Amino acid sequence: MVQQAGGRRWYGGAWARPALALAVCALLPGAASAQQLTVAAYPAVDKIVEAAIPAWKKLHPNVGIKVVSRQFVDHHTAMTTALSTRFYLPDVMALEVGYVGRFAQGGGLEDLRKPPFDIGSVQAQFVPYAVAQATSRTGAIVAVPADIGPGTLLVRTDVLAKAGVSESELTKSWEGYVASGVKIKRTTGAYLMAHARDIKNILIRIGIQPGEGLYFGKDGEVLVTSPRFVRAFELAREVRRNKLDAKVSEWSNEWSEGFKRGTLATQLTGAWLAGHLNNWLAPDTRGKWRALQLPEGAFAAYGGTFFAIARGAPAANKALAWEFIKLLTLDRELQLQAFKSQDAFPALLSTYGDPFFEQPIAFLGGQAARVQWREATRHTVAVSVHKQDAFALEVIDTELDKVLDQGKDIRTALADAARLLAKRAQR
Amino acid sequence: MRRGCWPSAPSAERKATTVKLPAFLRLSPEVTPYVLMSPFVVLFFVFGMFPLLFSLYLAFQTWEPTSGLSAMRFVGLDNFAFALEDEWFWKSLKNTAWLAVASGVPQHLVAIPLAVFIHTSFKRMRNAVVGAYFLPYITSTVAIAIMFSSLFSTDYGVVNTALHALFGGENIDWLGKPENIKPAIAMIVFWRYVGFNVVLYLAALQTIPKDLYEAATMDGAGRLQQFFYITLPSLKPMIFFGVTLSIIGGLQLFEEPFILTGGRGGSDQSGMTTAIYLYRMAFDFNDFGAASAMSWLLFFLVVLLTWLTNRAFKPRNGGG
Amino acid sequence: MNSDRRAPLAAYVIVGIGSLIMLAPFYFMFVFATQSRTEIFSLPPPNWFGNDFCDNLKILTERIPFWRNLGWSLYVAVANTALTLLFCSMGGYAFGCFEFRFKNGFFAFVMATMLLPSFMNMIPTFMIMDVLGWIDQPRALYIPGAASAFGIFLMRQFVTTSIPKDLIEAARMDGCSELGIYWRIVLPLLKPALGTLGLITFIASWNNFIGPLIVMRSPENYTLPLALRSLQSPVDTEWGALMTGSAIATIPLLVLFALSSRQLISGLTAGAVK
Repeated sequence: MVQQAGGRRWYGGAWARPALALAVCALLPGAASAQQLTVAAYPAVDKIVEAAIPAWKKLHPNVGIKVVSRQFVDHHTAMTTALSTRFYLPDVMALEVGYVGRFAQGGGLEDLRKPPFDIGSVQAQFVPYAVAQATSRTGAIVAVPADIGPGTLLVRTDVLAKAGVSESELTKSWEGYVASGVKIKRTTGAYLMAHARDIKNILIRIGIQPGEGLYFGKDGEVLVTSPRFVRAFELAREVRRNKLDAKVSEWSNEWSEGFKRGTLATQLTGAWLAGHLNNWLAPDTRGKWRALQLPEGAFAAYGGTFFAIARGAPAANKALAWEFIKLLTLDRELQLQAFKSQDAFPALLSTYGDPFFEQPIAFLGGQAARVQWREATRHTVAVSVHKQDAFALEVIDTELDKVLDQGKDIRTALADAARLLAKRAQR
Repeated sequence: MRRGCWPSAPSAERKATTVKLPAFLRLSPEVTPYVLMSPFVVLFFVFGMFPLLFSLYLAFQTWEPTSGLSAMRFVGLDNFAFALEDEWFWKSLKNTAWLAVASGVPQHLVAIPLAVFIHTSFKRMRNAVVGAYFLPYITSTVAIAIMFSSLFSTDYGVVNTALHALFGGENIDWLGKPENIKPAIAMIVFWRYVGFNVVLYLAALQTIPKDLYEAATMDGAGRLQQFFYITLPSLKPMIFFGVTLSIIGGLQLFEEPFILTGGRGGSDQSGMTTAIYLYRMAFDFNDFGAASAMSWLLFFLVVLLTWLTNRAFKPRNGGG
Repeated sequence: MNSDRRAPLAAYVIVGIGSLIMLAPFYFMFVFATQSRTEIFSLPPPNWFGNDFCDNLKILTERIPFWRNLGWSLYVAVANTALTLLFCSMGGYAFGCFEFRFKNGFFAFVMATMLLPSFMNMIPTFMIMDVLGWIDQPRALYIPGAASAFGIFLMRQFVTTSIPKDLIEAARMDGCSELGIYWRIVLPLLKPALGTLGLITFIASWNNFIGPLIVMRSPENYTLPLALRSLQSPVDTEWGALMTGSAIATIPLLVLFALSSRQLISGLTAGAVK
């Protein structure tokens, strides 16, 4: 806090100090005379950005970085608001993968292929599917990937051993995965997964044709009655019929308790969950886990962070903002540092040769799982995004619940979903 | 309520200052209301009108917000037509109605007798008891979200433990099953606002003159009779006020279902009130035009219901 | 009311149990504030206080400028409450005791604004704040709220039920100026209502996060709800610190309530001398 001599003389109220502090801060050198970049982010991306500031200072000692961090949803709401009016846009905007698609369609973000950004020259340095995730329908690349979330299957080795299920049995095919689940339930009583929805979420991603989105096709036609949805629903129903899912939602007390007690045998998730399990969700289960590739050679992405520049951001700062983004995403050291401290799996290909990947992970019983996850990034394919994807997800989840809880027929459920989606596909 | 003729007795609170205002500041009774209203009116027009008009304008446009203001396109009544044909909109209205009634009615049914009871039977402990009931209103949504997910947890939540101890039977899956989400939300809303209504009714009870009750007792009226013939009628304006607030609040229910269902509305959208659906339309599905149109449809509905309440409860003194 | 006939014991017991139920979540909030997040997320959730309070506090103050945000919350809430009480009591008095043009129409209009969900106003409010140059400034939080529809509604109700017209007439005949009538006669009579509205306004301002979300651009200027929410990450929230922050954030409200309930009671002596 700043000293203010004589401040109390004027107001003598509780608001004297903050008001004066604000006034003085506005006049402090560094805020007005030198340039400053504003970076809007959310936890834990804010830590990653802050960690990059020393490196930035070496390159541009006169340019300060101000990090404005908000809660995850609040941040994206604030960004939506700012983009809608083009006021007070940050110089650099962090976006999570779920929102990048939406914002990309909107046209409020700079197309980074254009000068002075010219992402084309560095594009090849990133994991291809991550760049594809930030590409709009018209081919504009609106954001740069900073970290990605390769999908993985985390399994409890002790539970598997007790049930006599081998890893290959578990992952050979999705039907085999479910069958192993039956065995696990019978012998150990543990559930195969947290919720039947999890298997549906992966299975609808298998068999997507190029150019197709998850729920909608290239021209907005509704795809939810296609075979991949039917298979997803059928297997989810199978899981529920055999009582293989614990019916708990992620990030609930029951879910984390399931990990602690070993009543959840596997979890389909992003690689980063291993770090959280180790740190605070279930630290006592260290060593009892292993990471496997998803069954049947499937690959999926769970999360990812991108940095973008808004069209309406202050023009004078755009060149510098681009420099900062390049630093965050192309600097090998910073990417590895974020990986080591925040479990942010790098999107930068040149980091992939680092020995850190071969290091054993204690939580996973000494497995060098990062190698496997690195391999997964090579095979993951980006899925085209449609404006109504968030709505479609809800509708499908609702229909799935009806199939699972009320025994609704799968084909009818999907047809109902298609009907709802068709009405909105063109909005 | 017009009182009898009361002389202007000097009350203890009268300020000792007898500074006379300069002539130009002495207002005539005709001008006074305008002067008194002016700060409110100014603020209202600046901060209340523009959003209102903006929202009205937006209801006739289609707009994806991240494209910027210039991306609005006029579509006439298309948004309204869409809303009226939308299954989810009607579902949200049904949810909202159910929740408004299920959480609103018990609030008042409990708050009135409770306020009367506290008013008459607690002298020293009054603040503590009122405080206990009012505390939920103070709690922030962040804290409520975490606590209630924990309390309503299926296997170990306190709610299920208590129910199990009292009634036995299976543990209820509050947050997972559609049919249970609504009662859970109603319970939270009740928990949060019953104390608020108790405070309102207590404030109103304090304005009822004691002599009315003394006279009634001398006439031989019992407690229950006094409650129905003195207390309730005197509380009518406050009941009107409180019920109107509950209706408005109930129809706009947003926070409690939002935090309990993580912003989604829960399984089968059973916890999705219209306000939540509006929010999702605007910020999740990025369809601001439809969201505005729906908010105006909701508005008309609330106006209608408020008007009906007004008719039912109209204070017979003719208002102000 | 006859205070010599006590209510049945059962009534006291029921009310007592009710109070405990009301308090239970609160109790858990304070319990969770002293636990680490591993324990909060376990089953059964902790029932008794832990010893992680200091750790949580440390994490809290490291991540966000907690005390500064607390200061801002206080400043904004006090200013908002003062302005709201002033403007709404003036307005309510005008509605309750005077006739003027467009009176009913305007009142209906004001009530109408209460009926639109507040988050729909986010973007237009943002635009207004930008035009006024109030972005990132606390006045954007406490000034607009002073035109509270709820406040003027409550004040009008109280004015029509508690202010005898004859009293005002008599004061006029005594030579009291109009503003003097407002300040010296009406306001003291409105004390219970002012106490209630003041308390409710303070709480609403304290817990409001949508307003600051729209307007504040710097974490140092956040108010508490926004600051505490910014601790929430999609996957890595420090729940213990968050609960600690929420628990501390509740304390000023508790203090205020304890103080104002006495005011509400003492206000009755002014209002009940009838």
